[in-house]
Amino acid sequence: MTTAKTIHLTLKVVRQTGPDQKSNLETYAARNVSTDMSFLEMLDVVNEDLTLAGQDPIAFDHDCREGICGMCGAVVNGRPHGPQEGTTLCQLHMRHFEDGDEVVIEPWRSRAFKVIKDLVVDRGAFDQIIQAGGYISINTGGAPDANSLPVPKEMADQAMDAAACIGCGACVAACPNASAMLFTGAKISQLALLPQGRPEAKRRAAAMVAAMDKLGFGNCTNERECEAVCPKNISIVHIARMNREFLKAGFF
Amino acid sequence: MGLESRIPAGPLAEKWDRHLFELKLVNPANKRKFDIIVVGTGLAGAAASASMAELGYNVKTFCIQDSPRRAHSIAAQGGINAAKNYSNDGDSIWRLFYDTIKGGDYRAREANVYRLAQVSNLIIDHCVAQGVPFARDYGGLLSNRSFGGAQVSRTFYARGQTGQQLLLGAYSSLSRQAAAGKVRLYARRDMLDLVVVDGQARGIVVRNLVNGDIETYAADAVVLATGGYGNVFYLSTNAMACNVTACFQAYKKGAFFANPCFTQIHPTCIPVHGDYQSKLTLMSESLRNDGRVWVPQTPGDKRAPGQIPEAGRDYFLENKYPSFGNLVPRDVASRNAKEQCDQGKGVGETGLAVYLDFADAIQRDGREVISQKYGNLFEMYAKITGQDPYETPMMIYPAVHYTMGGLWVDYNLMSTIPGLFVTGEANFSDHGANRLGASALMQGLADGYFIIPYTIGGYLTGGGYKKITTDHPEFKAAAGAVASRIQRLLAVKGKRTADDFHRSLGKIMWEYCGMARNNAGLLNAREKIAALRSEFWDNLLVPSTGAQFNQSLEKAGRVADFLEFGELMIIDALARQESCGGHFNEAFQTEENEARRDDENFTHVAAWEFAGEGQAPVFHKEPLVFENVKLSQRSYK
Amino acid sequence: MNWLINVVRSSIGKKLCMALTGMCFCGFLIAHLAGNLTIYGGKDAFNAYAQRLHSLGALLTLAEIGLLTFALIHISVGAILFYGNLTARPQRYEMKKNTGGRSLGSATMPYTGFLLLLFIVFHLMNFHFVDKTRQSIFEIVSAAFQQPLYVVLYVTAMLVAAVHVSHGFWSAFQTLGLNHPKYMPLIRLAGLVFSLVVGAGFGFLPIYISRMT
Repeated sequence: MTTAKTIHLTLKVVRQTGPDQKSNLETYAARNVSTDMSFLEMLDVVNEDLTLAGQDPIAFDHDCREGICGMCGAVVNGRPHGPQEGTTLCQLHMRHFEDGDEVVIEPWRSRAFKVIKDLVVDRGAFDQIIQAGGYISINTGGAPDANSLPVPKEMADQAMDAAACIGCGACVAACPNASAMLFTGAKISQLALLPQGRPEAKRRAAAMVAAMDKLGFGNCTNERECEAVCPKNISIVHIARMNREFLKAGFF
Repeated sequence: MGLESRIPAGPLAEKWDRHLFELKLVNPANKRKFDIIVVGTGLAGAAASASMAELGYNVKTFCIQDSPRRAHSIAAQGGINAAKNYSNDGDSIWRLFYDTIKGGDYRAREANVYRLAQVSNLIIDHCVAQGVPFARDYGGLLSNRSFGGAQVSRTFYARGQTGQQLLLGAYSSLSRQAAAGKVRLYARRDMLDLVVVDGQARGIVVRNLVNGDIETYAADAVVLATGGYGNVFYLSTNAMACNVTACFQAYKKGAFFANPCFTQIHPTCIPVHGDYQSKLTLMSESLRNDGRVWVPQTPGDKRAPGQIPEAGRDYFLENKYPSFGNLVPRDVASRNAKEQCDQGKGVGETGLAVYLDFADAIQRDGREVISQKYGNLFEMYAKITGQDPYETPMMIYPAVHYTMGGLWVDYNLMSTIPGLFVTGEANFSDHGANRLGASALMQGLADGYFIIPYTIGGYLTGGGYKKITTDHPEFKAAAGAVASRIQRLLAVKGKRTADDFHRSLGKIMWEYCGMARNNAGLLNAREKIAALRSEFWDNLLVPSTGAQFNQSLEKAGRVADFLEFGELMIIDALARQESCGGHFNEAFQTEENEARRDDENFTHVAAWEFAGEGQAPVFHKEPLVFENVKLSQRSYK
Repeated sequence: MNWLINVVRSSIGKKLCMALTGMCFCGFLIAHLAGNLTIYGGKDAFNAYAQRLHSLGALLTLAEIGLLTFALIHISVGAILFYGNLTARPQRYEMKKNTGGRSLGSATMPYTGFLLLLFIVFHLMNFHFVDKTRQSIFEIVSAAFQQPLYVVLYVTAMLVAAVHVSHGFWSAFQTLGLNHPKYMPLIRLAGLVFSLVVGAGFGFLPIYISRMT
């Protein structure tokens, strides 16, 4: 962590004009970067300069900039969301870089996530996985009193650990196999842990895994890169629970 | 055109039930014949889409982000209120209703707020059934906390991520309906216009953000759940994509805009630290449960906080409000922080911050307990500022957070354009001049799950609409207008970016229409905005073309609308010659510097009608009638 | 049987195949190692072990067929997974760093697996598909390890095997869903110990034998 107030960086950014275009690695100088800036604010400033110089600014997804919406994300120097553990790109601050650093910025790479432009990718596959069964099938209006079903605190806490997933896709980006097991596992696990989710646990596990397979993600080889980069520190314990639920669904 | 609020007759507690009975029902077999467009997938939009699809309507749902799950409801931290009285501390529907009306400084409708309190309990039941992992006690039952100045513990929460969990719950129901084919999802679409045919809302024009195509969609009714307009201030706690465009274009098509000057400034945000700053980060105000707010006694005291002895500290909230202390409502806490900074007692590099100190709480409860309660917030603070709040007091400053104003709606949540419904933060209905903590989630979900699914049926049975398609000339005209506006933005080819203009606008709004306002400043701001707007159309620079993914172009369109909308806010603030809730006009304050309402002249909703480009909007008044609560001066002493 | 096909064709099902067959091989390794250790008892002990093993007759053939079947499954499913994973990221990163999860074992699984396949073929040619009527198995083995190249080759192969099982062992548990925060550290430790036992246990044999005579 630097103590300097401002630093100079060399950015190497993957630029790609559209889904089926070739990508290029372009070099930009980012000068006088305040170390209090977030990474995305640094990109804002670079983009402002590019725009004023008549060039096309770097496209990148972002929204809440509080680390919760899951919209932002890029591979920074070989690591999704950059060097700080448990942190989304928008919450990464420039004090974690040193003066003179070269910073390589790339989009998530996966067959299932097509590049839309520059660092922007299409993560619609995640929505499709959830649509396959990432819900409890109840309609509005029919629920019993909220306290009629006690849930052991430990279970509720573990469910919350899994539910913290922000759907950013860093797990897929980090996985050497571009597998979506952590994302899928987190949802299956959350709902399997709660009594409300038990009635359709089997159906859910089978359907969501099938959807995941169909969408072109790779297979899990237990590399544990996903949990290492997950900005919400979601553990592969949830993948194991998904495996269990899936095997139960298959064999029993 | 008069404003008909359509509040049902009868005693307060029976109004909603009676209204539900009186609303005509749509035959189950006929529901599938109706198409409904929902714009926005936050709590209000996702819940409405899912619930209406469950009933059988064909729903088309649009969102600006890449997935419905990312709407900004996701960032709400603290919790959601409900009148469950699980804590046995004397809570009731009536008390929640009363607190909300009082907290809103008596500028909300009694009937709406009472209904909100009534359905609050259903929301918790439904969300638990959906699998929302609310915090629980060791007995397995739901845990509650007191929040944002409430004297009862009625707030349900899921760590510091309540909004996220509620939104993911609504998103899961939405996904279920998408899989069932009852909802068609359109992501990365920016609503740029409303299509009105024969006086009724019949569709929308959107820009496909991926390829730039201008698309039109037709329906029998349109629901806007597009959130608030806090980004008119440039810096706010809103997400970057939050904007006023959908609502503002609806306003231009005839929907009245109500109380736009009612904006909420949240007291516990991380202070601004540079010109490049793109947004502000809120920290849950639950922090005020244990943190003590203070500034140095003497203006200009630049010593480090640890160097300032107890005697040199001014715990201004505790001193001024002995019974509520650090837990006074948001507007009061914010204004007092600003007051201290205006006196030169602000801390930090910019002098625009006050301390929020946990030293006493850590000493009393131990670091472990404090970390369990606020660990994730402390972590977030440390990440952003590089300082450790366990060791040194946090610095906080107020930031724009929520907008109580919005499109005017009647009791059915329908705007002044028949067939255009508005839910959640986008409407004006339930929070009056100030919103209480943990009530935004409640209102969004109440509107979406439990109100609009019924009231929209009442509208649709009014029936007799002929089926129309997007081939109708009104759709062509609206799409054409949108396309030419985009061309206009691209054609300026000036020297300043949209972001740059936005920053300038934000400074004007914050300076003159922020926490404290006065007539001279507002008049000044109105002129400045007009000047900035004319510069915008002369000197805007948007790179590239419209026929592709172009974030600068998206931004430019939004800033163009903010530049017009900002003026509407100023006009509304000028018209309301009183102080109430989030609207504080310096000319109207009590001797203790509290907001002084003028109930005789301003117990009304101000609804503004668009009168044409360059024309002053037309003022309409909806008087507020209080039959069940007595208006009193809020006092938190 | 549709259900079984569905399970096996899924990504988790394929992993299950790898895990179950892999675990069987772990069992086999233990048995094989236990048998081999008799060599420390000298020539006669070793030959006696071999004789007893072969006296099992049909049972042994059955076990061999079993092992062969498992091997075919392990290899073919592994190859399918390897190919699938290669194509899951058609465009590679300009710069990619491991972020802390990957180990030597996990990163090299397909490659160590392939090397082991080559080794097993070689090993069977050396000691299995040989004429054992004219010389005892001990003589064949000790003759082989008189050549330093063989020793080096076998020791290297055993190191590769150790690397392979260092990931494979705990990974099988994870795939079967047997991951509990309390027990996983133990399982991972067991995997490490197991890989050391395999590496050292088998690895020292060629060295010992080469020095025996």
